[in-house]
Amino acid sequence: MSELKIENINKLYDGKLILEDINLIIKKGTSLGIIGPTGCGKTTLLRIVDQIEMPSQGKIYYNNIEISKSKNIIRDYRRKIGMVFQKPVVFKGTVLENIEYGLKIRGIDTNSTQPKIKELLRSLGLEGYEHRKASTLSGGETQRIALARALIIEPEILILDEPTANLDPLSTEKIEYMIDEIRKKNKTTIIMATHNLIQGQCLCDEIAIINNRIQQIGKPEEIFRKPENIFVAEFVGTKNIIKGNAQKIEDNLTLIRIEDINVYSTSSIEGNVYMSIRPEDITISRSKTIITGLNNLNGYVKGFLDIGTFIKVDVDVGEIFTIYLTRKTFFDLQISLESNIWLQFKASSVNVFK
Amino acid sequence: MNEILNGLIQAIELIVKCDPEVMSITLRTLEITFTSTLIGVLIAIPIGGLIYFKNFTGKRSLVNLIQTLYSLPTVLVGLLVFLLISNEGPLGNFQLLFTPGGMIQGQTILILPIITGFTITGLYGVKSEIKDLALSLGASDFQTIHTLMKEAKYALYAAVILGFGRAISEVGVALMIGGNIRGFTRVITTTMSLETAKGNLELSIALGIILLGISLLINLALNHFQEK
Repeated sequence: MSELKIENINKLYDGKLILEDINLIIKKGTSLGIIGPTGCGKTTLLRIVDQIEMPSQGKIYYNNIEISKSKNIIRDYRRKIGMVFQKPVVFKGTVLENIEYGLKIRGIDTNSTQPKIKELLRSLGLEGYEHRKASTLSGGETQRIALARALIIEPEILILDEPTANLDPLSTEKIEYMIDEIRKKNKTTIIMATHNLIQGQCLCDEIAIINNRIQQIGKPEEIFRKPENIFVAEFVGTKNIIKGNAQKIEDNLTLIRIEDINVYSTSSIEGNVYMSIRPEDITISRSKTIITGLNNLNGYVKGFLDIGTFIKVDVDVGEIFTIYLTRKTFFDLQISLESNIWLQFKASSVNVFK
Repeated sequence: MNEILNGLIQAIELIVKCDPEVMSITLRTLEITFTSTLIGVLIAIPIGGLIYFKNFTGKRSLVNLIQTLYSLPTVLVGLLVFLLISNEGPLGNFQLLFTPGGMIQGQTILILPIITGFTITGLYGVKSEIKDLALSLGASDFQTIHTLMKEAKYALYAAVILGFGRAISEVGVALMIGGNIRGFTRVITTTMSLETAKGNLELSIALGIILLGISLLINLALNHFQEK
């Protein structure tokens, strides 16, 4: 199985550890999203994977071959990779000259690749741009050229560093479409840094949340539904994160004591913990109902905000819980400030992490 | 006033009639200057590239030193080369004193700092992203250097032209090493400085006009490249 393996990568900059103990295995044809806040080391990691920058420690293996310090091995490895940088850059010259660069470097005859270049430009919405001066294009167009330039060499690995950051909607759409097309063919391994969670969710099989070290890695929905720590939870915008103390009371049931309330969960983690519950997993009613779920909390409406499709309601049950209601539910239940309401949610919906 | 006007008229006559002496001096000048510029370029651009690409201690000081040498006094270079190639000097056996070869050597030394320095500055003017881009697209070290030089080509043209301009207009080396031997080492600047003293104004003015014309051509060429 051909794969890219990143082992124990550390990177020091001016005595500061930018990347710490990064381990990743990326299988051929899969896509990995590297997500994290600005300055978390995303770009540095991608540059190390592309061997433009060397790690302070650690190794990279591709198809079980160590990418060593030998210049030829590094160059041959790099030639299997196409990279698109965050900041759009072009060489002096025409669009065509830019796209042909990678081919010429490899000594490939560019006459036979003209139809492919044409097709690539067409699918990126840049038909007929061949002979334009590359430096006169807009940022979005330049970035699309950059993608074409990386793709024309048919890379085994495609590295994208926030490819759509600060781009116009049309360019973003074209680039995302192209990435998705490549992804569907399951031939190219994609590693993509982004701080756009939705983009990561849409375009990646797996997501790694990074903040100098890998905080969590997994399928997008796992990360969104079950953040493993407070950093990931806050970064992915998890709502209703509450601190408490968990204690196992039955085989499959843990009681989390939070100052004034108790919440039941099916998690087995004990001690000082954080719990979170997704707003959409909470149902509400105006009176106490007998339910199968174990958590049934009473409180009053502390505030609400119309956010378009939904109305965001903050309910104080001793702790503040945020829930989203449809307009219809909101009016059917005749909710207003200080309304007394009950919140219900299943123990299995409660996510617990340290 | 009349004298100057007469000189000017006679000078134009000399040029228009393609006076053999004027032509021979001009051609010799161009021959020597082109050769020294060519040798200078062949040495200085690779050295400039090397200094840019390699990281070593004292790099900053070296670049500072090179920039200081931009204004290397021509007479100092003249003296240095004189000491090197005179009969008693280490290169005395080559018999280069008072020959075009000696002049070329001197002028090359004179313009090396300018071309090297402007090559380095030109390469630093290329965005660092370009280097990363070339590498990421699979370029070898040599291909990367080539790409960066291409990106910096107008700066490099300017470096060459500045070097040529300094070589063609200097008089110190040409006089001290060449000796203004008629038909052999006599160039525009040496002729002008000596003939003016002798009162041979029309020849000086004619050569001055030609020198100015060459400078103009150089500048036009430079502008042409920069507009590209």
